[in-house]
Amino acid sequence: MSSDKLHLLTHEVGSLAKPPWLVKASAGRPLEDEDIEHARRWGERLEVSGHEELVESLRTPAPDPEELGRWSSRYALRLLESAGLDVVYDGEQQRTEMYAWAVAHANGFEPRGTVRSFDNKYYSKSAVTGPISLREPYHNDELRFLQSVAQAELKIPITGAYTLAVWSYDERYGPQKGRLGAGVRREDELRARREFALDIARDLIRPNLEALIGLGAGWIQIDEPGASTEPDELDIFVESFNASVEGLDCLFSTHLCFSDYELFFPAIERMSGCRQYAVGFANYDTRELGVAGDKRPGYQVISRFRDLSYEPILGLGVLDIHSDWIEPAELVRDRILYALDVFGDPARIHVTPDCGLRTRSWDVAYEKLVRMVEGTRLAEHELERAHAAPAAR
Amino acid sequence: MRAFVPGIFARSEALVQATRDLDRGRTAAEAVDEQLERDRRELVAVQEDAGLDLLSDGLLRWQDLFRPLAEAAEGLSARPLVRFLDTNTFFRAVLVEGKPRLRRPLPAPELPKGRWLATLPSPLAFARATDGALDARTLAAEVLAPQIEAYAAGGCALIVLSEPFLASGERSGDLVAALEELPKVLPLALWLPFSDASPVLEKLAEAPVSAVGIDFYLTSLDALPQDYPKEIMAGVIDARSSRIEDPADIREFVEQLLPRSSAGVSLTQNGDLQFVSEPIAREKIARLAGARTPVQEAA
Repeated sequence: MSSDKLHLLTHEVGSLAKPPWLVKASAGRPLEDEDIEHARRWGERLEVSGHEELVESLRTPAPDPEELGRWSSRYALRLLESAGLDVVYDGEQQRTEMYAWAVAHANGFEPRGTVRSFDNKYYSKSAVTGPISLREPYHNDELRFLQSVAQAELKIPITGAYTLAVWSYDERYGPQKGRLGAGVRREDELRARREFALDIARDLIRPNLEALIGLGAGWIQIDEPGASTEPDELDIFVESFNASVEGLDCLFSTHLCFSDYELFFPAIERMSGCRQYAVGFANYDTRELGVAGDKRPGYQVISRFRDLSYEPILGLGVLDIHSDWIEPAELVRDRILYALDVFGDPARIHVTPDCGLRTRSWDVAYEKLVRMVEGTRLAEHELERAHAAPAAR
Repeated sequence: MRAFVPGIFARSEALVQATRDLDRGRTAAEAVDEQLERDRRELVAVQEDAGLDLLSDGLLRWQDLFRPLAEAAEGLSARPLVRFLDTNTFFRAVLVEGKPRLRRPLPAPELPKGRWLATLPSPLAFARATDGALDARTLAAEVLAPQIEAYAAGGCALIVLSEPFLASGERSGDLVAALEELPKVLPLALWLPFSDASPVLEKLAEAPVSAVGIDFYLTSLDALPQDYPKEIMAGVIDARSSRIEDPADIREFVEQLLPRSSAGVSLTQNGDLQFVSEPIAREKIARLAGARTPVQEAA
């Protein structure tokens, strides 16, 4: 990026779908020709160096799942780089899932099965049953590998303390007996949740962050999709974020999605350690072109982020990740232009999808991201043109 | 004392995998249909083995409380995701694109006539899902009423109207007015999942329903007026907790509850069992039945 040319930074938010050859091989299921063709086709399309080696290995009776995980990371990384993103990761190809991966590397949790999130989307859920601690840093191997193969800058997504707490059953902190007919004592529930979330922050998340920083991590995104689950627990979310990152030398951001974002105010006024909020808005927006407020109902809340005193960057979600519909570049452009107008400072806007794209096929995810980057360039061009000829606007 | 389990039931691991595979193009819709049918049969068997009085199909095909009706009605569609209460489960908000009218009622489930219950959104919850774009009375008259008529013709014994939002500030007067629009062809129960019902119990005593479902994990027994005139559908199983209830604790509670109701007590859970995994949900049904038998004998 040249110093005199406007460049809005683009990045992904987290997960990408896992390719069928990884899913089936990891589950011990036989691969079919179309799975191997998927690896060949995407290897060529993304120009993944040495992908022929992967294709060959997929023809063997029992390919090594860990090696396939690393191949999948290479593919996902190249997919994001090839789409033109400035900051990338590997779509969490080597993790089971954002909650399950963290809990599986922690002491104090026991699995309790699968629960539906929406439609045909599910998540595994565990119960906290004992003292929480980090069994082993659980993103180190992944980061080391990605540092060795990435061409673009890396941003590491890690599931946050509050989300881990609120997505778990509590069999330890809150009252377990005598609840039937007693009525809720909210103060007891809040005390229990605070203790639980802060234990996770101090004893699980923070040591994991320290390990990543020790490996040279420069930007860590703390994912908190559960942050607004309980509107009267936003202080606990903020306290747990602060306890996770306070005093650590790294750029920390957070990702929020599918919430009533008004709920976060004023709580996040105390979250000054967060330098960027990546937030999903497109899911709530229209598909009409236009930069006027009535065309952009999904983005009305962004002024609240603008007004935060510590002036964080807004990672502007412009892709609805729950739809196969490909946003035209012009729609992305208009969403960005609206945000730029509200913020008045391009340095405080990054461009992102609403959330991880793991529920979309690679074909759809790739096309969406390519349009996102195109739309970003259109917005930059429009802004530069406006600045060059202000009277023409 | 009757016992039954309304609402959306948990999906088995096999069904979870089948639907995931469907979404990713790894299996055919027919294979998912077959697994749905296996899950349904197993759920019915679990309820029958437990001796539950009314059977439910667990709404295993329902994506959320509103979507099948929104898709079956003219003028309605479903799109943005909205969090369901304070859970990590979401529903799709109902978008209003015209005057609503149920095109064709949803078919009755394959369950023994006269022995099954259906769960539908309450009119007020449905209106809340439209974010106020439609009022509860319109939805009651144009969508819910024809659906209830169809279920009645299909042998339904009880309609459970799920109302998760009432206790968090929705207007109980509007709800009572909307309930008047519903046909009185079979008993209606108003179920208040995952809510402290204390603020609305007095008003609901006047509602045109035969039973009120109360979450007794969030509602104090002391909040229930003496001689309550509606049957109490007592939520004694916690559908959001992985802890398995002790039937003895439930029996002890029910013994305190019984003298407060002049219209009887039935036992159920405090919300949809989809908030725990299928093995846990199944075990909770067994505990519900285990809690009921000695109480019934004593009564």
